[in-house]
Amino acid sequence: MSPCFEDVDTGDEITALTVSVDETQMFFFSAATYNGHRIHYDKDWARGTEGYDNVLVHGPLQAALLSRALTDWIGGGGRLIAFSVQNRAIAYPGQQLTFGGVITGKRNGGLVDLDIYCKRGAEVLMPGTATVALPSKAAS
Amino acid sequence: MSSESLVDADSAAKIGTVVAVATGDVYRRDWQRWAAAVGDHNPLWFDADYARGHGYRDIICPPLYLQYSVLGVAALGELRPDGSSGAVTGSMAFPKAPRRMAGGESTTFHLPAYHGDAIEMTRTVESIVEKEGRSGRFVLVTWRSEYRNQRRDLLAEASTSMIARPA
Repeated sequence: MSPCFEDVDTGDEITALTVSVDETQMFFFSAATYNGHRIHYDKDWARGTEGYDNVLVHGPLQAALLSRALTDWIGGGGRLIAFSVQNRAIAYPGQQLTFGGVITGKRNGGLVDLDIYCKRGAEVLMPGTATVALPSKAAS
Repeated sequence: MSSESLVDADSAAKIGTVVAVATGDVYRRDWQRWAAAVGDHNPLWFDADYARGHGYRDIICPPLYLQYSVLGVAALGELRPDGSSGAVTGSMAFPKAPRRMAGGESTTFHLPAYHGDAIEMTRTVESIVEKEGRSGRFVLVTWRSEYRNQRRDLLAEASTSMIARPA
């Protein structure tokens, strides 16, 4: 069930998604995106060559999870119009990540603007913005 | 630009030019594998009756999957030492800044992609800028990409960035 344009307001939070990515999920995401980058599976490379504590969760997986939170919230009647994120900090497997957003404005045409985020605790790892189109009550 | 620049002349010369044209077909099994890897079981990507009930002619490709539909085939012997292929980015190597990670992505979606669509992506280097961050110098590369289907409909326009740091 999609929220209707008339039912949402600036300041509303979308339903947040909480995920702890594990190495199995990382393997499948690398496979699904044909990504051979060693920092996602080769611990010796990630630690020894690149100086990280462990292998890294893919930035594009964080983005995909954030997009999932949005498309789950808008439902089948909504449409993702624009999606913009920046990779600000890395995440390691096993860390609890929260994906969510807050409405920053509404525009003609059923458009809703949001600030979106991936957070670890209070730290924003991936900030961004999005625009979605929501169905109107009048049309449903 | 100082002689110590992290940006080599070959890469700098690519600013404003098309560095990659990639084509690929959209396959529902591929996008469904991607969606499953994200834990994203949205019925729009899986259930044709549900998608038709919401105005689409069939299940649709998840918007963020479109970028992967044009990935080519990498010969293992031609990978960079870090295992990445660089095929889609136009093989920009930045020898003085070999540690790479995704910077960000900004995409506007115009139309959905369906199973069987033939996608063409055209990627242009928009900018290559050297910056100073909390953990030292890095290179920020920004590409602009257009995705069109077999009818030349514009499906999406994307701006993608990559960060490359010195070893």
